[in-house]
Amino acid sequence: MTRERNRLLSAFAVLVYAFLFAPVVVLIVFSFNSARRGLAWKGFTLDWYPTLFSNDELLNALGVTFQVAIVAVLLSTVLGSLLGLGLARVKFRGRTATETLLLVPMVTPEIVMGLSLLLFFLQLFDGRGSVTQLWIAHVTFCISYVAVVVRARAANMNPALEEAARDLGASAFGAFRYVTLPLIAPAVVAGALLAFSLSFDDYVVTTFNAGVGSSTLPLYIYSKVKFGVTPEINAISTIIVAGTALAILAAWRLGAFRGDGRNFVAEEEAPPA
Amino acid sequence: MSGEAAARAPVPLPVAARPVAASRLARVRGTALVLPGVAWLALFFVVPLGIIFIVSLGHRDALDRVSLANPSLENYGRVFDPVFLPTFVRSIRFALITTILSLAIGYPIAYWISRYGGRRKALLLILVMLPFWTSYLIRTYAWQIILRDNGVLNSLLQAVGLTSEPIILMNTDISVILGMTYGFLPFAILPLFVSIDRLDANLIAAGRDLYASGRAVFLYVTLPLTMPGIIAAALLTFVPAIGDFVTPDLLGGPETTTIAKNIQQLFLEGRDWPYGAALGFILMVVTLGGTLLALRTLRREVIGS
Amino acid sequence: MSDRYDGSSIDLEKALTKYMVERRISRRELLERIALVGSAAALAPIIAACSTSGGAASAAATASGSPAAEPSGSASPSASAAPTEVPSPEAELFIYNWVNYLADDVIKSFEAKYRTKVTQTFFSNTSEAYAKLGDDGGGYDISFPISVDVPSFIEKGAIVKLDKSLLPNIGNLGKEWSDPGYDPGNTYSVPYMWWTTGVGYDKARIKEDLTSSKSLWDPRWKQHISMLDDFQEAFGLTLIQLGHSANSKSTAELDEALARLKEQKPLVRTYSTDTIATMTSGDVWIGHIWGADRFAIQETNENVVYYIPEEGGVKGSDTVAVFSGAPHPIAAHLFINHLLDAQNSAANTNLIFYMGPNAAAKEFISPDILGDPTINPDQKIIYKLEELLNLEPAIRDEYLKRWQELRG
Repeated sequence: MTRERNRLLSAFAVLVYAFLFAPVVVLIVFSFNSARRGLAWKGFTLDWYPTLFSNDELLNALGVTFQVAIVAVLLSTVLGSLLGLGLARVKFRGRTATETLLLVPMVTPEIVMGLSLLLFFLQLFDGRGSVTQLWIAHVTFCISYVAVVVRARAANMNPALEEAARDLGASAFGAFRYVTLPLIAPAVVAGALLAFSLSFDDYVVTTFNAGVGSSTLPLYIYSKVKFGVTPEINAISTIIVAGTALAILAAWRLGAFRGDGRNFVAEEEAPPA
Repeated sequence: MSGEAAARAPVPLPVAARPVAASRLARVRGTALVLPGVAWLALFFVVPLGIIFIVSLGHRDALDRVSLANPSLENYGRVFDPVFLPTFVRSIRFALITTILSLAIGYPIAYWISRYGGRRKALLLILVMLPFWTSYLIRTYAWQIILRDNGVLNSLLQAVGLTSEPIILMNTDISVILGMTYGFLPFAILPLFVSIDRLDANLIAAGRDLYASGRAVFLYVTLPLTMPGIIAAALLTFVPAIGDFVTPDLLGGPETTTIAKNIQQLFLEGRDWPYGAALGFILMVVTLGGTLLALRTLRREVIGS
Repeated sequence: MSDRYDGSSIDLEKALTKYMVERRISRRELLERIALVGSAAALAPIIAACSTSGGAASAAATASGSPAAEPSGSASPSASAAPTEVPSPEAELFIYNWVNYLADDVIKSFEAKYRTKVTQTFFSNTSEAYAKLGDDGGGYDISFPISVDVPSFIEKGAIVKLDKSLLPNIGNLGKEWSDPGYDPGNTYSVPYMWWTTGVGYDKARIKEDLTSSKSLWDPRWKQHISMLDDFQEAFGLTLIQLGHSANSKSTAELDEALARLKEQKPLVRTYSTDTIATMTSGDVWIGHIWGADRFAIQETNENVVYYIPEEGGVKGSDTVAVFSGAPHPIAAHLFINHLLDAQNSAANTNLIFYMGPNAAAKEFISPDILGDPTINPDQKIIYKLEELLNLEPAIRDEYLKRWQELRG
């Protein structure tokens, strides 16, 4: 019976992955569409790929996007993880207030957040939009997502584990590094993945905080709507997806996600004596 | 959970792993952990929001600039225009359905990845995210290609013989909810995974020994233990879904305007920042209040915190 | 900044020397700059025109507190040359624009000619762009405001009077564009491109010759009609159909238009501005579209034709303007002049299928475009076109309120 249920579950999983990747497949197919714009299939061409590499504006935007996303992910993951951990594990004064503070950025309409940051930088720092401004803006809207995910993981973590480590002579940092961190690691990774996706595709907040020369890929793409989005955009998306997929596969082959999965979860990983 | 069941529980469930007697030291450490994040949000979120709040008290001058002479709460009065009621109700409906669907689809998948993912867990998790590293707009176009009258799905339905005429899917509530569920599904799967994956397989085994039925184990062990993940997942889908206006805009039809779209319109097309800000604040307060209330009830009932 | 010059003469001398070394400029230019420091930034280009140096205006812009990112290259030895010579532009130019609104070659030829690096930043709707531009351009030199918004930019002091001596090519403009109502004499702006709004339909689906905007209300096309998601355009079309002005200020007329739009709503598939996508997806057979989009649509679906409704239609135009906070006003002027060049204007038209106001450009424009009455309409039709105006806030609220009611 269990096996049957497993099979059912696996079939469901296949369906869900199909759902997730259906538009990606369509998107990839249309990167070979010879029609310059629009949603109808005209014929096969490979032209969009070479064109892409001579499109300086597009490549530039891609560079800015990655630059912003990487900083946003790093900073928001650190800040958000600490927040999530603190909220889940320790009682302190102002916990409810902190929790509320964490929720507010998520309920703030994007345009309100975008404009508030625009006015903030303009009024206080005479900031006219820049990559730095984008870093700050993106970190700000990513923190909450990371914190909520990490908190969910840390919520039912047994503090006795860390105490045990301390009893056995581990320093506070050691206990954190070898006990707590491995325990919350999957949540940190998951939070970072969410943060990357949020930053990578953000349009509204970015539009108000980008400055001279700091157009990101979403800004470039949305601006193309006026004259029609060309399959170049499908081509660059295809390259990103394929590149990431290959990188993951290579890393996996090389054993980056080593072990039998329990190590990824790292629950049983013992701290070095 | 019934008293009997609790009495039968072989191990102290990690539910009990609440913050234990918070010593002063722990309190200091807690503050230290959250301080950098709180400071960041205070500076780069609360202060800017304060500026927008001030804006919401002003009014628009003849050149569409914000004037702060004679600040008043007038804009907040204007917000209760019946024109916004249907869009507000619609936003909540879209967000609720999206959340329920995301949880219903996300939970089994997260469970499957965690239990049967084996060495491929990380890989499977990244695969969930991968589609979202393309452009939102292009993905939406792709959905349009799939859902349109002569699109992939309609061709499939006709080939199978389920319908002879194309069904209108695009520009309806169906396409909007599908698009939103698609967009927010990863936000449900990730927290659900991290929470399910934390479960100790021994607890399940023990549960099996005690409750025998798989369903009972799921209801009395798995589900309560993964409740923090469910709450987080619901939070990460419902809250942003309320504020979504791009999906209804691009995949929706004549009847799919959301409250966030109205706010966007007041800001950009109406060029009335104070009014837009006021409506934005009302939306925030309502969503936030509702969310906090739901959270508290949920936590108290399920976890007993 | 002013206290720097309030100091003793020795301090001043030191400061001057340091400044000259840093900026590698001549003493004469420097004195000119100092003279300018107190003057309003808005006057910069005019004064720049009187001076012989390109550096002057940029210094004034610097004084206004805008980021002066250009390196020392801004002032060149040609400063002492004859006054008729074009002043040397700054080393950079910041343009805030749509993607693909300027032909690559036009930018490249400008960069080569003036050794000025052009940086474009993109926006995807004008409302966002205006929010970002603020009252002085938000750090950009040039953007492309819609003509109807020019008066408010002027009133806010966001754009500057153009220095016509730097725009010799302005004579290329067609007669009808030399004195537009929104900016008499093109004092602050230069028209860039113009367009009409009308109706597009798929001849493969609708095998008739349509001429009226009422076809958008035809129940036979139920679920296959689209309207622009733009309240001024949607109300504009409806108001004209009802025999009113597209910019009506009468709430009674607006109510009438709203009732008409409500009649239409059950027939509508979608309200969208992304008509290139909707008209090519096959779901929409007849749509309210911007005329120029038709070309992009036709590249994928050659059955789509476009017409300006017989009741009359809406026209609009984009302008180019230089901001009061422009860090590089000279380069900005030279760039506008470059755009006014007949061949460059034609190159842009050939790229985006919008007609330019440039009479001299006609001979370089692709005959397909010139021969197309919907892009280059007959004068009789042009008279039937009405430009959408920048509504005063109270009236705009009346439109928006009704629009939100319709869409709610």
